[in-house]
Amino acid sequence: MIQLIDIRKSFDSQTVLDGLNLEIETGKITVIIGQSGGGKSVLLKHMIGLIRPEQGEVLVEGVDIARLNDRKLNDMRKSFGMLFQGAALFDSMTVGENVAFPLQEHTRLKQKEIDEIVQQKLLQVGLRDVAHKMPSELSGGMRKRVGLARAIALDPKIILFDEPTTGLDPITADAIDRLVVDTQKHTNATCVVISHDIASTFKIAHVVAMLYQGKIIEIGPPDAVKSSQNPAVQQFIQGTAEGPMLDYHLLNI
Amino acid sequence: MVKLGIIIRLIETVGRGLIRFIEEFGLVMFLFLASLVWSLRPPVRIRAIFKQMEFVGVNSLLVVLLTGIFTGGVLAFQAYHGFRLFSAEGLVGSTVALAMTRELGPVLTSLMVTGRAGSAMAAELGTMRVTEQIDALYTMACNPIKYLVVPRVIAGVLMLPVLTIIADFVGIIGGYLVGVGLLQINSGIYVAKMIEIVELEDIFNGLVKAACFGLILSLIGCYKGFYTSGGAEGVGRATTQAVVIASVCILISDYFLTAAMF
Amino acid sequence: MKKLSIEAKVGFFVIIGILILGYMSMRIGRFKYGPDRGYEVYGYFDSAEGLVKGVPVQIAGVEVGRVLDITLEDGRAKVALLLKPDVTIGEDVEAAIRTKGVLGDRYVELILGAPEAPPMKPGGSIKRTASPANIDTLLKQLDSIGRDFKQITGAISGVFEEKEGQASLRIIVDNLRDLAQTLNQTVQKNNENINRILDNFTVFSTDLREISSTNKESLREVVANFRQASDHLGKTIIAFKQITDKINRGEGTIGRLIQDEETVDTMNQALVSLREIAEKINRGEGTIGKLVQDEETLENINATLTSVNDFLQKEEMFRTYVDYRGEYLFDSDNMKSYLSLRIQPKEDKYYLLQLVDDPAGRTKKTVTTRTVDGVTTTEIKEETEKDDFKFSAQIAKRYYDLGLRAGIFESHGGVAADYYLFDDRLILSMEAFNFNEDEDPHLKFKADYTPFRHLYVTAGFDDFVSDEGNEFFFGAGLHFSDEDLKTLLSGAPIPH
Repeated sequence: MIQLIDIRKSFDSQTVLDGLNLEIETGKITVIIGQSGGGKSVLLKHMIGLIRPEQGEVLVEGVDIARLNDRKLNDMRKSFGMLFQGAALFDSMTVGENVAFPLQEHTRLKQKEIDEIVQQKLLQVGLRDVAHKMPSELSGGMRKRVGLARAIALDPKIILFDEPTTGLDPITADAIDRLVVDTQKHTNATCVVISHDIASTFKIAHVVAMLYQGKIIEIGPPDAVKSSQNPAVQQFIQGTAEGPMLDYHLLNI
Repeated sequence: MVKLGIIIRLIETVGRGLIRFIEEFGLVMFLFLASLVWSLRPPVRIRAIFKQMEFVGVNSLLVVLLTGIFTGGVLAFQAYHGFRLFSAEGLVGSTVALAMTRELGPVLTSLMVTGRAGSAMAAELGTMRVTEQIDALYTMACNPIKYLVVPRVIAGVLMLPVLTIIADFVGIIGGYLVGVGLLQINSGIYVAKMIEIVELEDIFNGLVKAACFGLILSLIGCYKGFYTSGGAEGVGRATTQAVVIASVCILISDYFLTAAMF
Repeated sequence: MKKLSIEAKVGFFVIIGILILGYMSMRIGRFKYGPDRGYEVYGYFDSAEGLVKGVPVQIAGVEVGRVLDITLEDGRAKVALLLKPDVTIGEDVEAAIRTKGVLGDRYVELILGAPEAPPMKPGGSIKRTASPANIDTLLKQLDSIGRDFKQITGAISGVFEEKEGQASLRIIVDNLRDLAQTLNQTVQKNNENINRILDNFTVFSTDLREISSTNKESLREVVANFRQASDHLGKTIIAFKQITDKINRGEGTIGRLIQDEETVDTMNQALVSLREIAEKINRGEGTIGKLVQDEETLENINATLTSVNDFLQKEEMFRTYVDYRGEYLFDSDNMKSYLSLRIQPKEDKYYLLQLVDDPAGRTKKTVTTRTVDGVTTTEIKEETEKDDFKFSAQIAKRYYDLGLRAGIFESHGGVAADYYLFDDRLILSMEAFNFNEDEDPHLKFKADYTPFRHLYVTAGFDDFVSDEGNEFFFGAGLHFSDEDLKTLLSGAPIPH
């Protein structure tokens, strides 16, 4: 469904993606793991056309979205849902309005029908009676739930998750993990999750891909990745500071 | 040789500044053209425009009223001391009215609105940028320029003339209260001279100016917010820069607009 | 209390702005607290230069009223003064336009006359007025006085410089001394007589003063008339003299003609033949002669000329315009065309007939109610006829820069307002029509700008309160008056 071929991208002469190849399987949860600052978010943003590659193709259902014009890209984006790291809820709108936003923008439904869908989506992510609240009144976990409800409002075929569990306590993180799995089962959508949380990765993933030095160095079912021979993969899974992977930030000091 | 090095460094610094300036100017122009194009593409977000009109216009009313009335008053005070030397106190009214309608009404209103609404635009859009709300709009197939910038620019262009005419009016009233009430200038001469000297063109040109300033302040506020980077600190920087740049641009363009009009 | 909606707030705010703008631009009002009280008197001035409405009227430097109005009457300035009700002035009051300071403002000063004079009634007019001293004329007068003075002093100094002059001067002085001495003696001798003469003279001069003061006005008029008459006469004589001079010198056409003998002969011949023709006509010979002699023909011609004249006069005000405009609708990517005929019997009034080709078509709604077994069903059928034209028929009236229209707009009843700016080059219009109960009214805003005489561009926002049909449009139009059409049609070269 999503295919990235030989993607190269650099910011200010620092190469982030270096000839990356990746294929996302339809109807599965693919978790991309890697170091912080290693280009995972950049990779995710390529898939929805927020960032265009310097080289290579991003094929979504066979169409190279990196070459599309704005109008066609927008049409394509309607089949996407994305949950941002900080949920990215609109501060000026209530929770209900946030979830209703894509419906109002892209459907001709009446207000009453929209309200019903909003209620249903909020219930689906486990929230009740929050539609009138402002995002600032919600906890981090609840905000992510609302963000997810907004992402699935248009029943997208592809859902992207940008570090869904980062910054949450383990219990809430687990709840969000379950929500990701439930949502995927419920909608049968193709899910791409980026994460550096090993525990949650192996809880939810159908496929795990490891990003390192601008390339996918390992991809496969969780068990296969766990038993990978690649020392970098092993180091990341074990979570030790010694190994081929150095602390990214230490290098700069 | 040391001298040559200094000169080269100087040229480099100036050149870099110049390139940065041209780059920024180009981005502002891009934003302007993009918002022009997007403002013509349906659907029109009447509600969003009204919301911004309320924010830029209605909510600035009090500050504009205060600015206008006291500016008019102090202008009458100062003009009186000058004109008394020639026993031409009757000209105070027309001086106040001309200054308000041509210059002070549009400029002071725009500066006040820049401080109030231009900064808020930069802060709001900047926050939306750093919390990925603008990216979220993109992912929901909504163009943030259309959704965020266009209503603000339209509101700026439409509301500044309205605020300015109110500022003109209360400024003239302020001048009248000081001139006639406090300084005992004859009200007949005061009003008659004003009506005699002020032309309809003065008022209209002032309003055209105000619309231009509205465009400048909303465009720069949006530009600084839209291209914010660097977290909370970046938002703060964007806000400050938006106010400073917009204010300076308003004063500079005022000169050229005045030269072109009068 | 219900909170105001954003739309209401913004609308209210904008309306306030527009009201202030309208108030300021029309300048009808003044800053006044309540209506004026008092009474009006009038003063006629030769010049009211520098005087403006609303300036104060003072008596002995105390403000007693203000100038209400300044109009022109028989070549003089009629100034209406509004005086406070508690101020009384006599009929012999004098009004003067004064200046405060050298460059200051003008005001009206009233100088009261004798206290026993009868009081001035409201609406009365002030007899004695003094117009403002114009600095220019003042300076000019001073200048000519100075010049005269210089001549006199020059002459005197000339007399003194010559020796002869000095001698004669001495003689004069001597004579004067003698004269004074003689006079002195005579006076001493005839003291009584002189006293009597002087008394008589005093009485005479008193009489004379009385006569002249009662007949002062008429005297002044006589003198003025005389001066005017002699002025005219002088000018006429000069002009006449110039002409005759020219003729004598053979200048100008007439001069040359008269001087040239051949011309005179030709003219004589022409006159002779003219007289012959006239005689023939008089006798009823020839076609023209017959026509002229026939009374009926003459009357007919007269009547025709009168009616043509009438028609032409009416025609001057009567105008017809043909206008085509096309609007490109951005959203639906369609063209909407208007063909209109504007009949304008008066400058400030016109009738508009318009055909509209709307791609959206006309929607017809039929509501049928059926009752079957006590159950009422209502059927609403909407039909859209794509090819149908809509039509408009409106009546328009203009007040200053504001025009109002009412009538049929695109086959619906409605009203509209037009605001004319920059010598009618820019017209802002707002139309509202189709006030059906179950639909939002159709509101249309447009701006027409005419950069060239027959071509204009237009842009606006159509049906902007409705959710469905709202869209921007942009377009252009052509505009011709009957005059233009006439020139266009007759402008084609006609072979001779």
